[in-house]
Formats: sequence, structure tokens, C-alpha cells
Amino acid sequence: MSRNQRLGLVALVIAVAVGAFLIAKPGSQDEQRQPTTSPAGTTSTQTTTGNARATEPEQPPVARVVIKAGKPVGGVRSIQVKTGDQVRLEVSADSPQQLHLHGYDIERTAMPGKPASFRFKAHAEGQFELESHTAEHAGLEPLMARLAVRPS
Amino acid sequence: MIVLLPIGHGIVARSDLPIPAWLFGWAAALVLLVSFAGLAALWPDPKLQREAWKPLPQGLSRVFVNRAVDLLCGAVGVALLAVVVYAGLRGVQTSAANLAPTFVYVIFWVGLVPLSVLFGDVFRAFNPWRAIGLAMAFAARLASRGDLPAPLEYPQRLGRWPAVAGLFLFTTLELVAADADKPQALAIAALLYSGVTFAGMALYGIEAWMARGEAFSVYFNLFSRMSPVERRGDRLGLRRPLSGLAALEPLPGTVPFVAVMIGSVSFDGAAESPLWTGLAPDIAMFFRDIGLSPTNALEAAFLIGLLACVLLVYGLYRLGVAGARSVGGGFSAQRLGSTFAHTLVPIAFAYVMAHYFSFLLFQGQAAGFLASDPLGKGADLFGTADKTIDYSLIGANATWYWQVAFVVTGHVAALTLAHDRAVAIYDQPKLAVRSQYWMLAVMVCFTSLALWLLSLSNA
Repeated sequence: MSRNQRLGLVALVIAVAVGAFLIAKPGSQDEQRQPTTSPAGTTSTQTTTGNARATEPEQPPVARVVIKAGKPVGGVRSIQVKTGDQVRLEVSADSPQQLHLHGYDIERTAMPGKPASFRFKAHAEGQFELESHTAEHAGLEPLMARLAVRPS
Repeated sequence: MIVLLPIGHGIVARSDLPIPAWLFGWAAALVLLVSFAGLAALWPDPKLQREAWKPLPQGLSRVFVNRAVDLLCGAVGVALLAVVVYAGLRGVQTSAANLAPTFVYVIFWVGLVPLSVLFGDVFRAFNPWRAIGLAMAFAARLASRGDLPAPLEYPQRLGRWPAVAGLFLFTTLELVAADADKPQALAIAALLYSGVTFAGMALYGIEAWMARGEAFSVYFNLFSRMSPVERRGDRLGLRRPLSGLAALEPLPGTVPFVAVMIGSVSFDGAAESPLWTGLAPDIAMFFRDIGLSPTNALEAAFLIGLLACVLLVYGLYRLGVAGARSVGGGFSAQRLGSTFAHTLVPIAFAYVMAHYFSFLLFQGQAAGFLASDPLGKGADLFGTADKTIDYSLIGANATWYWQVAFVVTGHVAALTLAHDRAVAIYDQPKLAVRSQYWMLAVMVCFTSLALWLLSLSNA
């Protein structure tokens, strides 16, 4: 194979790769037409559960985590939000829990009958852990929930 | 039910989102496309085998390589080791507030990897154990006013096996031990490892132990062989990227070493997925039944997971070698296995970077404020103690593209090296190409595994 043929092949590979990328990438029009992305300021928090105990409606305005006996009810859930969302997260517990949302570095304490309320704008993308320092100090699994911030 | 999980990086506050399905599919297709195009287009004569090292102009080389720089780098290395050990022993035992875990697991363990690939064997310059060894040898020569007894001959059969053991123990500490992120545990491990390294250097000589026995020297040296920069003697020079790997001496233990490199990252990638979090408690239950404490039982389960990943990588490579051997050419499996071992280094690089790239970018920032308060006791040496990590430095999309770029680049580099070696060792071009179908299949497996690990969601 001559030098020119090789260069031609490389160019072809690049062209095919770029073409396939543009086709495979979900077009921006697909996503932005979906009603889940609402204008800035309103919430579009969805919670998915790893368990069938999901009793929340499809799009609750507030994501809730319930801690009973030091464990999250329904297992460790992933709270799904998009970048720029105003997130409202309420954690209720049957015993005092010192909670820490990593990354966003927000600390709140939940007391019986007085849930901890996290309100913030999701500016950083990635997965962040909501941990209970109370559980950690007791030598228990501290992970109470995950916050997944996806690109909008 | 077991609730306590040893999480290797206790300092991690953020993890990557799994790469989306479409990007996974596209990247996997690209890997296949590149592979087959490569088979058709690659050169018929070896190009990386030849020594193509060219020294930089004397003046320029001397700016980077001179006695003062050597001494300074060595001193910095020793000082950093001392700070890490001191912070680990005397600092607060909260992993995120102490410099030791962030320095060891982020700056040293991950940060030196891209630096080695860009600028050559950086760790050799800063290696604290080598610096102390050289200083001791210098002092001993002065004191004895004559020649020191020559070190023992390094046993050829030992090859890189001591480094394999060192690397496996370090990854065990990182990924298996429940106390992995405890500053004190790290400081003690560093002291123990220093003792072993001093003994090795004293027995077999400084350079011999550094080249084969010292795990981190071998680790970073392998990555630095991808670099276009190489120091020879007192001269800095440039060479073809990757050609340093072609010059790697095929010593015993090299393939297991690379298998630990790739297998440990694979295990770290899989450890938070539902795949492993579903399996681990069952394995741990077995160990509890035979009398281990819950923590030890879980550690035993994680050790089995880590070992399984390393053996999987090793087995996959051996399978490819067996296949390549079946095409003929009269090579033994041993010979073929060691002659292609260097081709896995770019894959290991891809694994490390794809997996730890965002970790390095985010957690690396912590080194900036922890440097001001290494013990976590409220000091502010450089006025940076109040800084925090900026988690919006890089978004999820950019992270995904970088991850895929690392994986595909590593695949192409591995393919290039394997092809180059094949045309160098086989007399008949036909055999070289046929042997490469097998190596190619192995690399596609490794690369697909890397992509798949990136697409796993957390449990």
C-alpha cells in the first residue's frame, strides 16, 4: 500500500468516525423538546428508585429520602437532576442524622419530625453522595442516597 | 447483612456519570473500525524497533539535567515522603482533611502517570528512596575512603517479580483494605515499604533494585517509555513516542506486572457497579461462616475480586499469545508472551486515565489547600487553606469525551506496538499478519472491557 493510499484510508476512517458520531449523538433538538426540561427556576427533579416502593408521583417537586433505623427506606436511591435545576431535597429521619451532601458540601441535620432540607442549584455535573456522619461514626454504612446531576 | 464497605478512595466525594449508551456504541464501533483499517494500512517494516534517540542541544539539555537539578529533585522527593509520613502519623485521622491520602492516591499514584507519559521518567528524578540510597552510598564512600563492597548480582530469574509483589500489595491496600484511606495506615505502609526498598538497594545495588524490584520505579518507568523524552546519562534527548516500550527488556514477571496494572483499575471500575455490590456480600458471607469478622470477611471478598480481575487480564493475554503461537513461526509461548508484553502498557495508560481523569482534576485541587494544612489542624502555611474543590471545572460531556479519547488512543498505540513487533520477529509477513489477528482480538477485548467499565452505573 502506497503512502497516498494510507493517508486516504486514514482520512476515510476519520470521515466515517465523524459521520457516525454526528448520527449517533442524540441531537439537541430531541432532548430540548422533551417537557422534562422546564424553564430555569422551576424544578424538574425526578427520583428513580432501586425498589418497587416508589410511591412518589412521576415528577415530584421535592425529592425525598426517608431514613429509618439508620438506613434509607427503599435502599440507596439515585436522585436524578439536570444541570441548572433548582434542587429541593428533603430528608426525614426517625433519629437525629447529621447529613452531608458531598461535592456541594452542604451539611444539614435531620431530627425526628423535623426533616433536613437541602436547597441548591445543581451547577456541578457528576454523582455526589449524601452521607450520614451519624451512621459513619456508629460504624455503619454512611451512604443514604446519590445525587446524579446530568448535563441538560 | 453486611453494611460496611471498604471504599478504596475514602477521599472521593464525586464519581463520574456512566458514559451514555450511544457514546459507548460509537466508541466500540470506532475501535473496530480503527483496528481493521490498521491491519490494512500498517507499515511492512518495523519502525519503532530502531533506536532513534537524538540528544537535545547541550545548552538546552543542561538547563534540565545538571547536578543542582538532580539534588533539588531528590531533596524535594525526600521532603515530600517525610511530610506524608509525618502528616499520616501526627495529623487528624479524617482522610479528606489530611494531606497523606490525597497526596499518595491522587498526586503521586495518578498524577505522575500523565506526567511520565509527557515528560519521561519524572519519578526517577524525585524518587525519595533512590535519593536517600545515593546519599547513603556517597556518605559511605567518604567514610570508608575507598571502594565499597560490590552489591550482590541481581538474580536473573527474579526479574520484575519483586515489583509485581509491591504493586499488588499497594493496590490491595488501596482497593481492598478497609483502612485504605486512614492517614496512619498509609504512613505505616510507607515506612514499611521504605525499609524493604532500602534492604533491596543495599543487597543488589541502587540502580538494579530501582529497575526491577521497586514497584513504583517500574510502574512509572513503564509509562515513561511512551514518552518522546528520555534522559541518557547526563543528556536529555528526544525519541519516537512509544519507541521506549519497544526497547523494554523482557524480564520474567513483566506480563504479571502489567496484568496487575490493568486488573486493579478494572476491579476499581467494577467495584461500585451492581455486578460487584450484588456479589460481594455473598462471598463475604462465606468468609463470615468460616469465622472471619464482618470487616475481614468483606476484605477477603474484595481481595478475591481484585485477584480475579488480575487473573482475567492475565488469562486473556495468555489466550491471545496461545492463538498467535498457533499460526506458526516456531516461537515458544513464553517467548511470544514476553515479547509482546510491552504492548499492554498503552492499554494500562488508557485504563488509568479513563478511570481516574476526573478524579485527578477534582481531587487534585485538594492538594492545593491541604498543602497549607497538611495535618488538618488549622494551619495555613501558604494562605490556601480556605480554598475548596471547584466541582464545575469540567462537565459530564467533556469528561466522557476525554475518557473515550484515552481509551481509543491507548488502543491505537497498543495496536501499533504489536504490529511493529510482529513484523520485526516474523520472517514471513504472512505469519506476522496472522499472528496479529490474535493480538488484535485481545486488544479489542481489553478496550471493550474498558468502555464497558466506564458505562457501568453505580449500585
